[in-house]
Amino acid sequence: MNIFRERIVESINNETLQIALDNNTERRLKGRATAFESIPDWRERRQRAHKVRADVIDHLDEYLAQFIAKNKENGVIVHRAKDSAEAIQIILNIARQTSARLIAKSKSMVSEEIELNHALEKEGIQVIETDLGEYIVQLRNEKPSHIITPAAHLRKEQVAELFHEKLGIPYTIDIPTLTATARKVLREVFLNADIGFSGVNFGVAETGSVCIVTNEGNGRMVTTVPPVHIALMGMERLVSNLDDLSLLLSLLPRSATGQKLTVYTQLLNKPLADQTRHLVILDNGRARLRDPALSGVEGSPLKESLYCIRCGACLNACPVFRELSGHAYIGKDKSIAPYPGPIGSIVSPGLLGENFVHLAQASSLCGACKDACPVDIDLPKLLTRVRAGQAAEGRRKTEEGAGLSPVTKFGLQMYTRLATHPKLYAVSQKFASLGSYLISPHSQWMRLPALTGWGYSKDLPRFAGRTFRERWIKNDVLVNKMKAPATDKKDSSAASHSFPQSDINPVEQFTKELTALGGHVYQTHNPTQGIIEFLKSRGLDKILLEPNTLDESLLQKAGIGFTHETDPEILVGVTNALCGLADTGSVLEADGALHASLLPEIHIAVLKSNDILPSLSNAIDLVKDKKAAVFITGPSRTADIEMTLTIGVHGPKEIHVFVDDSISG
Amino acid sequence: MTTVQLFITCLTDSFFPQTGEAVVDILHRLGINVDFAREQTCCGQPQFNAGLRKDARAIAEHTIKVFENAIGDIVTPSGSCAHHFRHNYLELFEGDSTWLPRAKAISERVFEFTEYLVDKLNITDLGARWDGTLTYHPSCHTLRGINVDRQPRALLANIHGATLVDLPNAEECCGFGGVMSVEHPELSAEWLKRKISNLEASQAPTLVVTDAGCLMHIAGGLSRQKKSQRVMHIAEVLNHQ
Repeated sequence: MNIFRERIVESINNETLQIALDNNTERRLKGRATAFESIPDWRERRQRAHKVRADVIDHLDEYLAQFIAKNKENGVIVHRAKDSAEAIQIILNIARQTSARLIAKSKSMVSEEIELNHALEKEGIQVIETDLGEYIVQLRNEKPSHIITPAAHLRKEQVAELFHEKLGIPYTIDIPTLTATARKVLREVFLNADIGFSGVNFGVAETGSVCIVTNEGNGRMVTTVPPVHIALMGMERLVSNLDDLSLLLSLLPRSATGQKLTVYTQLLNKPLADQTRHLVILDNGRARLRDPALSGVEGSPLKESLYCIRCGACLNACPVFRELSGHAYIGKDKSIAPYPGPIGSIVSPGLLGENFVHLAQASSLCGACKDACPVDIDLPKLLTRVRAGQAAEGRRKTEEGAGLSPVTKFGLQMYTRLATHPKLYAVSQKFASLGSYLISPHSQWMRLPALTGWGYSKDLPRFAGRTFRERWIKNDVLVNKMKAPATDKKDSSAASHSFPQSDINPVEQFTKELTALGGHVYQTHNPTQGIIEFLKSRGLDKILLEPNTLDESLLQKAGIGFTHETDPEILVGVTNALCGLADTGSVLEADGALHASLLPEIHIAVLKSNDILPSLSNAIDLVKDKKAAVFITGPSRTADIEMTLTIGVHGPKEIHVFVDDSISG
Repeated sequence: MTTVQLFITCLTDSFFPQTGEAVVDILHRLGINVDFAREQTCCGQPQFNAGLRKDARAIAEHTIKVFENAIGDIVTPSGSCAHHFRHNYLELFEGDSTWLPRAKAISERVFEFTEYLVDKLNITDLGARWDGTLTYHPSCHTLRGINVDRQPRALLANIHGATLVDLPNAEECCGFGGVMSVEHPELSAEWLKRKISNLEASQAPTLVVTDAGCLMHIAGGLSRQKKSQRVMHIAEVLNHQ
């Protein structure tokens, strides 16, 4: 048995893992289905998203040039890396120039692909993963087992053991306590890090914006607090403009976590004051996947895999992943594939070659992944192409039947001989029939040994004594009494999906959505007065205040202290929202409001009722002239431990929005 | 009189000839003349799915030659073979100016059996009778490969006397996957276990499928576990009077 199959058996026999995986699958599938109900036109969006991604990949060089030029204009330092070694070198150089000792890192699958942490640690630089799930697997010296929920393979008892042992807290399986512990430890990391490091969900060619979507707030911390920010992205992760971005953002979080929008949808344009931003754009085999001239394989067979937006929906839908989790997807050299699941079994061999080609054989081609894909990638077709040896290794195709066991390959090739010679085929059917009667004279079923594969869990039917083709000779031109065909009166067409348009006004819809996420909304004619009352009711008397947000003389009279300077000790931040989104309950914050909406435990936003817009697509242009902006959708949260929703990770635990309706009318 | 070609499929031919007979019976009753080209063998799907494209091409070329001069639509009691003709033949011969048009001409003539009845003949009531409870497993390639689902369900809904119940998590693969069931027997076994426990939960004694692959796989699992439920191809159920 090969090493991959051994690993499969280990996973299947690991009861704890199986429970964790079933949990992940069930909750994710349900969450996704529910989230898509709110966009009845999702099928059409999915087709548009496919076209948007296809267009980007077909014109990648032009879009990259535009994106890079725009970033340079925006004051971002841009680097291009051909492969892992170059990317690591670039990042090491930045670390050396800034004499960095500590790097706070948010999730980046590309950094896993190039094995960045290991390289940095070898140079004596401490790297701390700050996504809760990533932090957990880092403490366990493991790799993430899922691209969205890195600790999906663990149960809370294992996390409790780990935190007890490594962080010295008393053993507890209370998930909010575990999360609060991580928040406390990692808060110090954010404040002391020399460099913040992040991945990139999308780059926008037209504006140069870097879009990062997160829930916990660590993505905002690493891009906002440390003096240097490094963003690492795969070169294919571009969209042409902000409209296309908002289309993809309507699909990505729904597919990934079942959210309409993630808590934090950030758009970074220019570095903040006193901040340096580096953008590292990685090729590492991507150009080869899309360009026949580089791959030596005609027609770029795996090009479509570059459309992927890394939502992880295909992992959750995949019955193979459900048994294995990411750690079982291993190469011939036993290293864990950076990308697991259906898309991983294509891009891991596609980017990294021969070592991972056998992964594609572990699939029934059932197509659940294709159905789940928000950009409609034909994953089963691509899997058959990897099997057909079309994942290029340098300039060489791998062999046909890649990853197939020699016995099966030989058997199929023999079968080809028979199937192309009908007479021989019919004779062999007779032999098979005779053989199966000898093996099993008294039963319709044959019990074959487990080593045949088939015999492992099922019996094989006996070959028919008389095949259909033999019976056909006897039955030739069998004409029964003809019946007139019954006509079909029933309308069997699928029920059309019509969803009642909501009649509620934007403020009500906004309130409903944000309240559902655990946020609070108050309507008021005088936000300053409302906020003073709120603060008093909570016994709070000091706020971090965005300038020009509240009536400051009124605050003074009420005895509320305020400052405009960032101070991580203050518990309340008050900001002015540029707009609200009715369909998701989000508020848009930018530039001067970024710290006040992130560092304190309580975030209060003032929003004018007239500024509530229907949806992200109506608001996305507002970010154009900002240095950085973030759509905030509810309080900071995580589901990294056993998929249990926990509020308040790195960002605020509470969000209160005061809707100012004094000028509406 | 309309004539159709029957593509029997290798599994049905060798293991379940009675399914083929049921297909022929039903079509005859509807006044359709059925022709069976005796040179046919296999569509080449196992080779294609395993990644052996050269082999898959050789079989596809043979099959194209067998059917290209035969009259009428090609009807097959298998969603996965229909999927193979319809989609994979185009992939196999992509860029081949001699074979692609020939492959395309064939692929456009192929219909899965229930799809043919409902979409081409506009028939959903075959006057079939069944005493007892039935449940339906949508085979992956029928459901997601060629988007055929309302057709078999409509046909089943019109069986007189039968009670149709839902199979929990019906859309999950049974774990056959052709070569996968041999290459990765451990994975295949887990899915099969789940499918069988869902079948038990449905409490239906009879499971209906549209593909000999799933039939052989699920029935083989039931036999190994000594369960009493049985699996039947939809053609046999629809032919029951």
